[in-house]
Amino acid sequence: MTPRTYVDVHVLQTVPPSNLNRDDAGSPKQAVYGGVRRARVSSQAWKRATRSAFVDHVPEEQLATRTKKISGLLAGRLAARTGLPTEAATRLATSLLEPLKITAGKKAAETSYLLFFGRPQLESLVDLVAERAEELASLGDAALKGEVAGLPVHQQLASGHPLDVALFGRMVADIPGLNVDAATQVAHAISTHAVEVEFDYFTAVDDENPREDTGAGMIGTVEFNSATLYRFATVGLHQLVENLGGDVEAAVTALRVFLTTFTQSMPRGHENSFAHRTVPGLVSVAVRRDQPVNLVSAFESPVQGRSGIAAASEVRLAEEMRRTSELWGLSPLLVASTYSAHNGEAKLQEEALGPPMPFADVVAAVVGEARRRLSPGAA
Amino acid sequence: MAGGDACLVLRLAGPLQSWGGQSQFNRRDTLGEPTKSGVVGLLAAAQGRRRQDPIEDLVSLHLGVRTDQPGSLLRDYHTVSDYRGRPLPSAAVGAKGTQRPTSPAKFTHVTERFYLQDAVFVVAVSGRAELLGALVEAVRQPRFPLALGRRACVPTQPLLLAPEQEQPAAGAVLWAGAPAEVLRRVAWQGSAPHARSLGRRGAPPAHVDLPVTIDDTHGDDIRTDLPRSFDPLTRAFGSRRVQHLWVRIPTGYEDTADADTHDPFALLGW
Repeated sequence: MTPRTYVDVHVLQTVPPSNLNRDDAGSPKQAVYGGVRRARVSSQAWKRATRSAFVDHVPEEQLATRTKKISGLLAGRLAARTGLPTEAATRLATSLLEPLKITAGKKAAETSYLLFFGRPQLESLVDLVAERAEELASLGDAALKGEVAGLPVHQQLASGHPLDVALFGRMVADIPGLNVDAATQVAHAISTHAVEVEFDYFTAVDDENPREDTGAGMIGTVEFNSATLYRFATVGLHQLVENLGGDVEAAVTALRVFLTTFTQSMPRGHENSFAHRTVPGLVSVAVRRDQPVNLVSAFESPVQGRSGIAAASEVRLAEEMRRTSELWGLSPLLVASTYSAHNGEAKLQEEALGPPMPFADVVAAVVGEARRRLSPGAA
Repeated sequence: MAGGDACLVLRLAGPLQSWGGQSQFNRRDTLGEPTKSGVVGLLAAAQGRRRQDPIEDLVSLHLGVRTDQPGSLLRDYHTVSDYRGRPLPSAAVGAKGTQRPTSPAKFTHVTERFYLQDAVFVVAVSGRAELLGALVEAVRQPRFPLALGRRACVPTQPLLLAPEQEQPAAGAVLWAGAPAEVLRRVAWQGSAPHARSLGRRGAPPAHVDLPVTIDDTHGDDIRTDLPRSFDPLTRAFGSRRVQHLWVRIPTGYEDTADADTHDPFALLGW
C-alpha cells in the first residue's frame, strides 16, 4: 500500500502585457481575492497547455518497455488470482497479449501507447480467463492460440489509459467503469497583486487605399493586462501509482514529465500579438506526506509594487512556507526550489525553500524522493 | 440527525469555491454557502471513500455553516475540447461499449461555471466521537486532495480550526457543544480588507452579525442537498430542514463607535 505522498508545485511567473486566457467577451479572466481584483488564468487553460506539452515529452523508449511490463504485470496477477505457477502464468499472459501484435511501426506505437492501463483493466483481463486458467495452461501452443483468439482482449485493453490520463483523469458519463480519478489537482492561477484590465486600441489600414481615402479599414480594441501569477498544482503519487496499476517507474516518469511541462508550458491566447512566453521566476516543489498545502494566502493582502512585484512576491512565498511549517506543523519531507536569491532575504528564502538549484537538479531531487517513497518498505 | 456533544470545525476559504445546488450540464451554478453534499463529499474524499461506498454515517452528521465573508459571484467561461484536435465524443454509447463521435462533428463545447470568489465559511459538524476522531485524522492526511466544491478550488490553510483559546495545553481538536453553540464561539475568520470594507468610514467594526444555517428537523427552510449516494449511476439527493440564525461575533478590532448610536443599516453591511 503506497503511503500518502503529495508533490506540491508552487510557481511564481511574471507575464508581460498579454491576454493569456480570455472569456467570451475577449477580456482577460479575473477574480477578486482579498478584496481586490486580480488577473486569473483558469486551471483548465493551464492544464490544457500542460497536457499538450506532455505527450511530446513522454520518451519513446518508455513505450517499448511498457509492453514487456504489461506482460509481467499480467502474469503476476494471473498467478496471484488463479494459483498458476509462474511459468504457466507467464505463458498464458504472453499468449493473451500476442494477438495485439505489438511490433515496431507507426500504428503499433499508437496501439502500445494506448495499452497503458491501470488496475481495473488488468483485473478485467484476468477475469476473462480466471475460471479456465488451469485448462488453458495445459493446452498446446496452437490450441491455446485458438482459444485466446476468441477472447475480447483488445476491448478490455482499448479502454486502458496512457500516462496523461493517469495524471489528468477521465470521465465518461455513460461508462463509469472507464472513469479514472485524476492524480493531479491544479488551482486557478491568480496574480499576487491588484490588476486592472487595459485596452489596446488598434487600427488596420488598407495598403491599397488611394491617397484620398485616409481612414482605417478596421478599428478595435484588445484587452490585456500584465501580472505576476501564483500557480499551484499537486500530484497525489499514491493515486498516480494506483492509476498505473502499481508501476512505480511509470509513475516516476509521469511525475518528471509533469514537473517539466507544468512549469514550462503556457496557454497560447493572443500569443502572436503579445509574445508572452516566459519562464517562471520561482519554482518550489515540496514532497509531503500529509496533505497538499496551497500558499495563495500569502497574497491575500495584495503585494504593492514599490521595487518590483516579482521579488516581493517571492519573499512573501518564502515567509508563508515558513509560517505553515512553524505555526501549523505542516513540514514537508523535502523542498527543492529554483529561484534567484534576493539581497537581504537570501537567508529567509534558503531556510524556507532550500538553496537555489538549477531546475534539472530540482526535478532530480524530487524524483529521487518520490522513488524512495514509492518503493516497498517506505514509512 | 444524530448529534453528539463535540464538533469538528472546518474553515473553508480560498480564492474560489463552488457549492452546486441544482446545477447540471452546461451551466454549473453555485449557492451562497457550502452544501451538505459538498461537505460530506469533502469528508468522504479525505477518508478515501470511493463514489460507490456508503455515506450514511457522514450524512447523519449534524451540520452548521457560518458565513464569515460572503464573497461575490464569478462567472467562468469554460470551453471543453480535445487537446489533440479531435472531435468530441457524444454521450451515446455504441454496441461495443465505446462512445460514438458527435455528428455533425463538434470540436468545442461551451459551458459556464459559477464560483464564489473571496468567501470564507466556518463549518461545524457534530456526531459520534469515534467518527469525528477519524475525520480529524482524515482531514490532516487526506487520501484525495481536498477541494472546495470543484477540484480546481484548492483550500487555504488552516483547514481545521482547533479551540486553542479554550484548551491551549490539551491540544484538543474538537470543540465541545452542538454546532449552534460552537459557531457562536469560533473566532471570526474574515480578512482584514473585508473588515475595513464593513466599517463606517473605513474603521473596522467591533462586532459583526453573521448568518448561520443549521440542520434542524423543526426548521422552517428546506435544502435539497442531502446526498443519498455519490455512485455515478445512482446519484440521488434528498432534502433536509434547516434553521437560519444570526450570531454576533467580535471581530477583534477596537470599538470606535459610540455605544448609544443605533445603526439601522448595520445588518445590511452598508
